[in-house]
Amino acid sequence: MPTPTTPRNLIRWLRHNIAVVLTMGMMAASATGQTVLPADEVARQATPPVALYWKDFFQMPVGDKGLAMSERIRQAQGKEVRLVGYVVQQEVATLGKFLLTPRPVLMSQHADGEADDLPPATVFVRLAPDQRDWAVAHARGLVEVTGTLDVGRKEEPDGRISWFRMQLAPDAVRAMTRFEVTQYLHSLQHSH
Amino acid sequence: MKNHPPLTWIALALFALPLAAAAAPTVTRLTPPSELFSNGQAAPVIARFLPGQRFDLQATVRPDDATKSITSAQFSIDGKPVDAAAALKVCEASCLKGVPANTSLATVRAVSVHKPGIHQLQVLATQSDGQTVSAVGNFEVVPLVAGGQKIKNIIIMLGDGMGAAQRTAARIVAGGYAQGKVITPLAMDTFPVTGMVKTASLNSVVTDSAPGMTAYVSGNKNNNNEEGVFPDDTIDPFDNPRIEYLSEYLHRTQGKALGLVTTADVFDATPAGNAVHTSSRGAGTGIVDQFLDDRHLTGLAVLMGGGRKWFLPSSTPGSARGDRTDYAFSSTDAHTADIVKRWGASPGSMDKDRNLLDDFQRAGFQYASDKTSLDALNLDKTDRLLGLFALSNMNVALDKMDGRRNKARGITGRVVDDYGFPDQPMLDEMTAKALKVLDRQKNGFVLMVEGASIDKQAHAMDTERWMLDTLEFDRAIALTQAYAAKRGDTLVIVTADHECAGVALIGGSRVSDARLQTLVREGGGTALRDSVVGVYEQAGFPRYRIAADGYPEAVDIDNRLLVGYGANADRMEDFRTNDRPLQDGQQPLVKKEPLSAYPAGPMARDLEGKYMVTGQVPGDSAVHTATDIPLSAFGPGAYAFTGVQDNTDVFFKLAQAAVRGVLVPGAQLRPKAGP
Repeated sequence: MPTPTTPRNLIRWLRHNIAVVLTMGMMAASATGQTVLPADEVARQATPPVALYWKDFFQMPVGDKGLAMSERIRQAQGKEVRLVGYVVQQEVATLGKFLLTPRPVLMSQHADGEADDLPPATVFVRLAPDQRDWAVAHARGLVEVTGTLDVGRKEEPDGRISWFRMQLAPDAVRAMTRFEVTQYLHSLQHSH
Repeated sequence: MKNHPPLTWIALALFALPLAAAAAPTVTRLTPPSELFSNGQAAPVIARFLPGQRFDLQATVRPDDATKSITSAQFSIDGKPVDAAAALKVCEASCLKGVPANTSLATVRAVSVHKPGIHQLQVLATQSDGQTVSAVGNFEVVPLVAGGQKIKNIIIMLGDGMGAAQRTAARIVAGGYAQGKVITPLAMDTFPVTGMVKTASLNSVVTDSAPGMTAYVSGNKNNNNEEGVFPDDTIDPFDNPRIEYLSEYLHRTQGKALGLVTTADVFDATPAGNAVHTSSRGAGTGIVDQFLDDRHLTGLAVLMGGGRKWFLPSSTPGSARGDRTDYAFSSTDAHTADIVKRWGASPGSMDKDRNLLDDFQRAGFQYASDKTSLDALNLDKTDRLLGLFALSNMNVALDKMDGRRNKARGITGRVVDDYGFPDQPMLDEMTAKALKVLDRQKNGFVLMVEGASIDKQAHAMDTERWMLDTLEFDRAIALTQAYAAKRGDTLVIVTADHECAGVALIGGSRVSDARLQTLVREGGGTALRDSVVGVYEQAGFPRYRIAADGYPEAVDIDNRLLVGYGANADRMEDFRTNDRPLQDGQQPLVKKEPLSAYPAGPMARDLEGKYMVTGQVPGDSAVHTATDIPLSAFGPGAYAFTGVQDNTDVFFKLAQAAVRGVLVPGAQLRPKAGP
């Protein structure tokens, strides 16, 4: 099924497809089971993720031109990092990925096009390849995300420029229960 | 063959008529917009122009079936063919949803009519099978008559979202009241003439900032979100039918320069609505490119505010430049090629990697990135000035002043430190520099100065922040008033594009700030509403003490001024000043965890008081209202601005004063005495 392009279509899509919710730290911990892990995964898990903060992304204060990446963010390239931020609320759902920002953002793609309010420190978070058709329900408040960081300019398929990307492990997200889907759909209509 | 009686033939003929009409091509849009075309009514006339002001003609013509096409179109004005070929563009995939692909747009660019009066516009289009269709509309050319003194300079002080209540609040805070009399009036209160302005846009009684601004400087209504253009049927945001701006008209005919100063991102609707033609106020890359590339049309000499993110090549972190917000006109398709050919506009290019900051400087603009570098410029030798003091919107007055007073309301320290721009100029400081540069323009100038965050903070229902931004704006007004008083050839108007948030001054607090804090801890509507809100005489006269820097020593005073919002979203309220502004959607950075320290919305602050005011509008933000707004004028020509006037009327009054001279004598140059 094609990507939903309107909120109404999104709701219809959610009713017929599996929806996912971001793990919080607590949920991620409970997702580890008795599976025998390959050696590189054991090594990966033995090294705790680098705790990354939004203040680490760019040098401050801003100079007389643009932003400059900090040494700390450059050194985090390719490493597993942990980051706390907000899931961007999008009018048009994107499948298999979501955006994480240091502050809440509501993207009004229909009204603003690419002239949106995404901050430079936006992280494009990708789900595991076999979850590429999953839609991530918008979560209010802060979420903690752990994944492998990729730093550098890249043009995304939709034409946006990403500077920071994070690849999640398959267990970073899980399917919503039927009850959660119902609650989520209700929350779309009643914001408080 | 059977003979039919005559009545039967008539009945058959009548039955056949609608069928024949349905099979003909149709004109679905005729631009400039008119009631004559839309509803068959000759009045009111919607589109009005100055003698010689340029505008585009356009008709959308649909063939009667998918196999046919439109082969030609001819525009006529008052029965006389327009002396230019109409460019025909077939929609194919470039038009709005629902517009058939074989629909054609016929356009003639940059037409002008000098003869005053109401004119009839006609288009005659021919379909591939020879059928023709015509449609008529009308527009008016407003006469300019010989007057007295011609003004050299026009200054438009635009308080975004500044309704009567915002002005009153600033007066109470800055000037104070004694036994019902104002102690020190606002500068804008001393202007000799004040009128009311109707603010509706072309498609709504509630305008946004784009048509709110362009009505003043084009004389015409635009749709919401659109700047200096009439609506069309294509998805291209840069190909709409254009209307010549005041800046362009006066630069072309008199050589005047243009200055734009704002506390917002310079691509925002209000500054862009003086110089840029687009149907998408969000198309930032193309908007800022057009500022520079079409400066030969507008005379742009000063541009100051925030918005550096649009000027940096896309390879620079923080850059917002992208092809999807840019434009490039065709060199072969007359539909857009004629914008270059007939308007003399730049063709543009898809150049997300352009370093516009460098290009501005190569074009002779001196660049300032903060207050220190702005002060360091030798303005006696500067004819062009670019100031970009933040990546996006600048910080608001309250936070900039807290920065100067070293008041740490932020997370890491001062709010301006959190945002990464600790040395931003105030609006009056930018205005002073702009006046100094523009003063040397021998043919005069048009200067627009915007107090942008009066609106943005009213949206956020952040009372003290919009109050102080109104004070900041009034300080800039005082400078322009003094400039106009000294020169005697400068007309200043102070106005808004619309009101924002339905602000109402509901009274004053009945308690001290210490008691208010106790009530906040107690929490709930009974404590925070019934114990605090003083109405009528309980409100008394809130007394704010103004420091030497011109701003209140403290905003959390005892018995403070209280504000209600008539166009409010749900909000938590404790009536105390918020330490930090709401998260500004366009700002780039938050420095330190926990990030929730900067509230996400009006429901995420003032939580301790547990007092929620239920919103009357959906969403997280208060909204613009359709309420009329005040306009005050100072200088020669000021007396033309009395009465209740349409926002488009303002354009013709400004032009009259600049082109043929002021009509109403006796404009006071000195402020009125007393409150």
